[in-house]
Amino acid sequence: MDAQWILKHQDLVPSVLLCFYDLVSDPTLATLCDNRLKTDLNNLRGLLSQSGYKTRLAVVLFSDQDTHSVDSVQERLEAIRRACAIDAKSLFLAPSSESPDELERMAENMLTTLYGVAIEYFRDLGRHSRKKKARGVVPQPTVPPTSGTSQTLSQAGWNVRYDFKSAMFAEYRLELGNALLSFEQAYENLLGPELLEAIPSWSPRWNEARFLADVIAVRCLRCLLWNGQHSAAARRWQSHRDRIAEFVDRRGRGISNYGWKAWEARWAIIMANLIERTAVSGFTPATMNLYLQPEKNVMGERLQPWEMLHHTGYWYHLAAKHLSARRNLAHAMSEDDRRPPSSSPASHVANNAFTYDTYMCPDPHDEYPLNGAGGVDHSRMIVDCLKRARSEFLKRHQFRFAAELSLECAKELALVRDWKRVVELLRSLWRDMSFRSEGWVAIAEDLSWALRSAAAAVGDADLIIAIDWELLGQNFTRRTNWHYDITRSLEGIAPKSKPSVHIEHGELLPFVSASFVFRDEEGKAGQSTRGQLAIKSNAQQGSAPVVLKSIEIEFSGSVGRVVLQHQAGAATEPRKHGSVALSAVSLTDAAEDGAKSEVENLDESNRKLTLRGNANLTLLPSQTTVFGVDIPLREAGETRAVSLKLSFESEAFDLQQSLYFGSGINSSNLWYISASSTKRIARAIPLSVRVLPRPPKLKIKAPAWKDQYYNDEPIQLEFEIVNDEADGALAKLDVDLFGEDTPVFSIEVVGQGAGDALPSSTVVNDESKLRGLSLGTIESSKALTVRLNVPPIERSNRYDLTMRVTYHLSTDPGTPIVQTALLQLNVVNPFEANYDLLPRVHPDPWPSMFDYNGVNGLSGGDDDGNDGSSGSGNAAHAASTALTNMSHKGISQAWCLVTRYASFASEDLRVVNVDIRVQTARTVRCFHTKQPGVLPLADEDRGRGRLIRPRTIVEAAFDIDARKSTLDDRSPSTLDVSFVIKWTRCHPDTSSSEVVVNTTTLPVPRFTLFGTEPRVLASVSHIPPNPPSLNKDNSSPRTPQLTVLHVIIENASAHFLTFGVSMEPSDEFAFSGPKQTTLNLLPVSRRSVTYRLLPLPRPPPPTPTPTTPSANKALPPTPATPGGGADGAGGTWIKPGLVVRDKYFQKVLRVIPTEGMKLDKDGGVLIWIPPDEEEGEARSGEKVEAAE
Amino acid sequence: MATAIPSIACLGVIGRNNNPLHVAIFPSYDPVTNNFAPVRTPLQFSLLLSSTLDVFELRARHNAATGVGLSGDFGLLHAVDERLAAYGFETNTGTKFVVLVDMRGRRIDGAIAAGLVDIKEKRLGAVAVGLREGEMKPVFKAMQTAYVKLLQNPFFDPDEHAPPAGHGGKKITSRKFADDMRRIGETWTPGVTNL
Repeated sequence: MDAQWILKHQDLVPSVLLCFYDLVSDPTLATLCDNRLKTDLNNLRGLLSQSGYKTRLAVVLFSDQDTHSVDSVQERLEAIRRACAIDAKSLFLAPSSESPDELERMAENMLTTLYGVAIEYFRDLGRHSRKKKARGVVPQPTVPPTSGTSQTLSQAGWNVRYDFKSAMFAEYRLELGNALLSFEQAYENLLGPELLEAIPSWSPRWNEARFLADVIAVRCLRCLLWNGQHSAAARRWQSHRDRIAEFVDRRGRGISNYGWKAWEARWAIIMANLIERTAVSGFTPATMNLYLQPEKNVMGERLQPWEMLHHTGYWYHLAAKHLSARRNLAHAMSEDDRRPPSSSPASHVANNAFTYDTYMCPDPHDEYPLNGAGGVDHSRMIVDCLKRARSEFLKRHQFRFAAELSLECAKELALVRDWKRVVELLRSLWRDMSFRSEGWVAIAEDLSWALRSAAAAVGDADLIIAIDWELLGQNFTRRTNWHYDITRSLEGIAPKSKPSVHIEHGELLPFVSASFVFRDEEGKAGQSTRGQLAIKSNAQQGSAPVVLKSIEIEFSGSVGRVVLQHQAGAATEPRKHGSVALSAVSLTDAAEDGAKSEVENLDESNRKLTLRGNANLTLLPSQTTVFGVDIPLREAGETRAVSLKLSFESEAFDLQQSLYFGSGINSSNLWYISASSTKRIARAIPLSVRVLPRPPKLKIKAPAWKDQYYNDEPIQLEFEIVNDEADGALAKLDVDLFGEDTPVFSIEVVGQGAGDALPSSTVVNDESKLRGLSLGTIESSKALTVRLNVPPIERSNRYDLTMRVTYHLSTDPGTPIVQTALLQLNVVNPFEANYDLLPRVHPDPWPSMFDYNGVNGLSGGDDDGNDGSSGSGNAAHAASTALTNMSHKGISQAWCLVTRYASFASEDLRVVNVDIRVQTARTVRCFHTKQPGVLPLADEDRGRGRLIRPRTIVEAAFDIDARKSTLDDRSPSTLDVSFVIKWTRCHPDTSSSEVVVNTTTLPVPRFTLFGTEPRVLASVSHIPPNPPSLNKDNSSPRTPQLTVLHVIIENASAHFLTFGVSMEPSDEFAFSGPKQTTLNLLPVSRRSVTYRLLPLPRPPPPTPTPTTPSANKALPPTPATPGGGADGAGGTWIKPGLVVRDKYFQKVLRVIPTEGMKLDKDGGVLIWIPPDEEEGEARSGEKVEAAE
Repeated sequence: MATAIPSIACLGVIGRNNNPLHVAIFPSYDPVTNNFAPVRTPLQFSLLLSSTLDVFELRARHNAATGVGLSGDFGLLHAVDERLAAYGFETNTGTKFVVLVDMRGRRIDGAIAAGLVDIKEKRLGAVAVGLREGEMKPVFKAMQTAYVKLLQNPFFDPDEHAPPAGHGGKKITSRKFADDMRRIGETWTPGVTNL
């Protein structure tokens, strides 16, 4: 039994024979045709039965008749069927007139029916072989065994045969489970002790048995894969391999020869093919599955990873590996073995037969012939496998694995010296391999060397140079016998033209790294800044130094580029220390020398500056070469070192390498102070420098600027604009004044013909601005004065003044330059004051209700007499009082306004005059007089007025005399006063005529006059002691000083009021007057009670009475108290126990003190007793006279 | 064949930028010469490790699409052939641990010497000496612990080894880490739960 048997059953012997006939409907011909048909069919049947096969016969009849006469047709069919003994199921009638769809459906039905018939057929066959096996006898050989085509079989052999056959039939029936079972049984039997074990390995039968085992195993795998038992399939694959290996090792020729490896490779390819052919659903590339999960029933078991079925790429890879192992083993064969049998001794041939496994592979002399001609092309097979594997991996995006396979492939091709394909394969891989960027240096290196050797063979100069350039790096392991000299790269290669290679940044791992550092973060246009370029060579130790031709540094921004050119004996010898060489390079503007014409062709605006310098550009291995350069900065903006281009030039080729700064590893911020010492530049981006605009040299000065300006004075601000530029400047001025309630100001350019109207500012939203005032051309080193006139400002405030001069030089009209000055204008109030309104006793009597003349005498006087009050002196006061009395008939009151004003200025001010402005209701007439001594007209210093130093307080008092117009008006009235200070600044230099007098008006809080409540005023006067000479009386030589106390009760109301006045005796003084009395007051009247007081002398206690201003200053009649200290001179305060009580309301009225008096803490009245000049005498022999 | 059990052939630590951080190679038992030797050259191991990155990428894409696999354990990445299989683990920060297991890396006597005899003998009766999915967990755990220890070293700058923006990075030079890797690779055998 061999493959022919399978061929017979699979392809040659049909299970069902399907015949097509026409069923003629013409009644005349019908019988004839039917009969012919019957004979034909019967002949067929006869032939079939003769063949010995039980092939079923099926017939399809195409009727050319319509279907309606079914009955007659049915009859005919029945007749045919019976005549030919055809199964009813196998006879079909196809009406001819059916549509294609119908026919299709019918054909499907037919197939289904026939399928059952076919299964039946194979089941019969299967049953037959099972029966035969069950019989358990070895059948007699049908042909004599000597023929060579057939061998006798043992019982076990027959069993294998039957099992195999029934398995095959089961497979045909698609009963895969059964088939698998039978196959396994056959397999086990075949490999069992009675068969394979029993066959000697030298016998050809041994290989046949192996072959059969392989066939069974393949069939098993197929069943498993069809069944979806992927892991079982993988396991089956492995177990077959293991068993055969074990067999071959034990019984055969061992597994360490090329034959076995060939079989292994074949076995792997078979698996890959099987997976492909069965089209395992999980392996379509779209699913991206690398392997399949195991089936459920083996999920829990311990599985070999390989038992998860992997996709075919892995299997091809495996095959490739075995193939290369095969090649290695084949190449390891001795020369004797490789001789063709004809030319080698017979004993050797026999020996070979035992040494080499030639199962399904050629003999040693064919495998690897001695003469090299012919033989097996291992490489082709390997490459073939690898390519197939690679395409599978690529389909599943396993690029790295694919790259690995490409590399293997390339190495394989390199062995057969197919350099061209190697270069093809590796070039793209080498250009953009992930290994390089991801740091798998070893892989990149391997690939590079592989490609280099290929490129050298092909003569691809560009590639060689680039690879050599990269391999110079120290990252790669050093090859011992390599020259590592870039200039010798192209040795032995003669390119047609001189190759020029350009390597972009990041394209490969360059052995040089570069960094650029600006020393300063900022620079100014027109100046230059220092930068350092550090180039570190990471070349292999011992490699030849690389001499660059030039280095180009590209900058963004206004700095164009810097080109360093190699000069062997550079002017400055670099300072060296260790592995660092530092040299300073002086740069020259290329535009200035020869290259000018070339530059001019370019667009002027695009022209970038090129600076050139010469330096020694030899890069020694692992040395850092530092170049210090001075870079002039031209325009404002950010400048950054962007990239670097290294150019290498030799006789054989050119090479350019671009590097970008700032990509991670390259960026360092070390500044080499000298070759041996560095410092770290602590900046985020040391690669860049910020270029500031050219500093303006025009200056704005404010020479007479003051810290404070005061309210109510016109402010003049003078500025000097000085041009320190080398050229004349055409300037414009913008002024902004910002703050609350900004005033409108005007500007005057001193020296220019000041026009009629000075330009003045506009006020928008608290901002007063003036724009674009042309200042004309200011010549170099000349100054221009601008005066700002600000009107008096009423409120203290703070303003920001911005002066901005925009100018451009006459030589460079395109570049505007801006100079600004920011000043703060403080406007403060120079004075502040507080006020006291003290009541006084009006000297004039109140008009009486009963005095007809007094009330009505002079009515209708002019009411506007108020106006003349400002300039009044004491004399005028008397006159006006008289006038008032006549025109105004109402009640009158006298007050004293005491103001204390302080200077809050920061410098001395001169007060020229102070005054108050009084405003009252129309019904009240009010006069005021300045008390003397308020303002000395001539100070000790020059000039008028009083000099007030900062933070000093000055007092000024004013008497106010108020009178109502009629007696009927009893309502309270208000008094609005403002305090006016006229002052000047102290200008010691200027003459007084120029001094501007400023007027500051301070508002005084509103006072209320003429309350309706009754009030009690106390006033005091002193009767000087009588000189003894005047005293004619003998009794008393001298009257002591008496104090007269008037208690005046004013009743401004319209009620009749009764007051009780009582005075308590005291040990401080004696008094005369009513001790207790009752006063009746008519409406709108006043009365007074008079006491005369005589203070009792007593040792003056050290009363710490402060000299309050009211006590001190408001005593005009008092002689000037020396030193201001009242106590020192002997004056005392006495407190009379005076009580005024409203009898009706039983309310104690407060006694209001006037001049020479004050209130104490309890609300009582204290009276000042001036010292007695002749106190010493008075004290000697005076007896105190008690009053009443 | 049943006398061989799996062992670790290579441990690889791969950085966030797919750059190799550390590679430790362990010898396997070679039945032909009867001694221990690595099954591949270092270059081949590099290639194998790098090829696992494909699988990491594939899985990451797949996981992102399906929203699974948050644990970081990628399990079996692929089996290179019937002997070598790669298992992978990815940390949250993108550092990848790869274990290449040689399915026939040790003789059974080696396992006996390692004191695993009773576990072994039971299993040897079974059909296949394979690996369960979970058996690599202790290895990854130990590797991660070692890596975390490394990170705790204040002188170890992770950004130096995998720059946040860019390519490549330095390898790990810590001897302690290398020792840890060596210990893990040498002591692991199937069934070990704690390393």
